[in-house]
Amino acid sequence: MITIRRSQERGHADHGWLNTYHTFSFASYYDPEHMGFRSLRVLNDDRVAASRGFGAHAHRDMEILTYVLEGSLVHKDSMGEKRTFGANTVQAMSAGTGVVHSEFNASETEPVHFLQIWIEPAVQETEPSYQQIPFNPEEKLGRLRLLAAPKAAVNGQAAAIHQDAFVYAAVLGSGESLKQTLAPGRHAYVQVARGDLSVNGQTLGEGDGAAVSGESDLCFAGAGPKGSEFLLFDLA
Amino acid sequence: MGDIHVLVVFYSRTGQTERLALAAAVGAVQAKANIRLRWLREVAEDFTIQSVPEWKENRERMEKEYVAPREADAVWADALVIGTNGAPSELKDYLASLEALRTSGKLDGKIATAFSSGSSADCAPLFAALAQLGCVVVPSGFQPDAIENARLQGRRVAEVARALQGLVERHG
Repeated sequence: MITIRRSQERGHADHGWLNTYHTFSFASYYDPEHMGFRSLRVLNDDRVAASRGFGAHAHRDMEILTYVLEGSLVHKDSMGEKRTFGANTVQAMSAGTGVVHSEFNASETEPVHFLQIWIEPAVQETEPSYQQIPFNPEEKLGRLRLLAAPKAAVNGQAAAIHQDAFVYAAVLGSGESLKQTLAPGRHAYVQVARGDLSVNGQTLGEGDGAAVSGESDLCFAGAGPKGSEFLLFDLA
Repeated sequence: MGDIHVLVVFYSRTGQTERLALAAAVGAVQAKANIRLRWLREVAEDFTIQSVPEWKENRERMEKEYVAPREADAVWADALVIGTNGAPSELKDYLASLEALRTSGKLDGKIATAFSSGSSADCAPLFAALAQLGCVVVPSGFQPDAIENARLQGRRVAEVARALQGLVERHG
């Protein structure tokens, strides 16, 4: 079963400096029907104005992934990390027992567009950690590039997270396709970052998402003239 | 059990007190409290700040990263942590601004503590001022490492606030 969540059905807040869409309940957007999917708790599509951002705030017991689509972010945290990153990088913060951090648009002239993902950890109270892993953009062309997975499944090439969840990014040109098998009992969430994507024959536009359960194969194809970039979450 | 709210208000020029404030906030988060971090705005003249490159740079950064404390923050808080170095007028002004809340009884029974990135002697007058505002004062710790000390202090105020929650509600 594939349940589509259209871009415009998501929670939305435009604060001027921040234009944000929430797939699941977040901040002042609360919908008991959309509290998350499996271990995926938050999926925010954020656009932050030049030199603006989120001041110091805290997190606990959450795996927080940030995937920049356009522009760059500067991150600073209580673990002493101060890092700047842009597209084709997975940033992962494991909040564990608690971290305080800030994140700002690194540019004084250009906006930044990114997806922020919160995955509930399988274990609580772990030691906080920060990972930032850049990759060659060619690795996501026409195939799934692993961004995050449980520690046993990564080899420094993707972020290790405390949950049985696999997060991938892929770019498909118009008409280009790829197939992914979903193991029995596994679920998936698909989020279109750019362009139009066909998932098992159903078309998703930019910002659309789809929750998938009880399917064994996922067939993705770039639709429309520009193809698509999307994220795939393979969840327990 | 209700959420515990910890407000960390600090004044920092070079970022040293800021690091301790972050550690105190982390300690409070470790004790499962919600936190707000607030930086006291400079009252120094611009030309004074401009003359010290590190100060100028830090001010520009902190102005972006932190909002200034508002009255609503102190009302929200179950526990108040104040971080300083010396006794700058920024801090004196802030304590004076809390006086209005005291007279309306809004600070009664709140937990409070203070730390300094300079001399530990900075804290004694702050403890006295916080007690006069009606707060239950929790002392600083005695860890040799200042960061670790601040973290434990943040943790401790959150734990004390949680332990005394019922008490404060009955009297508040």
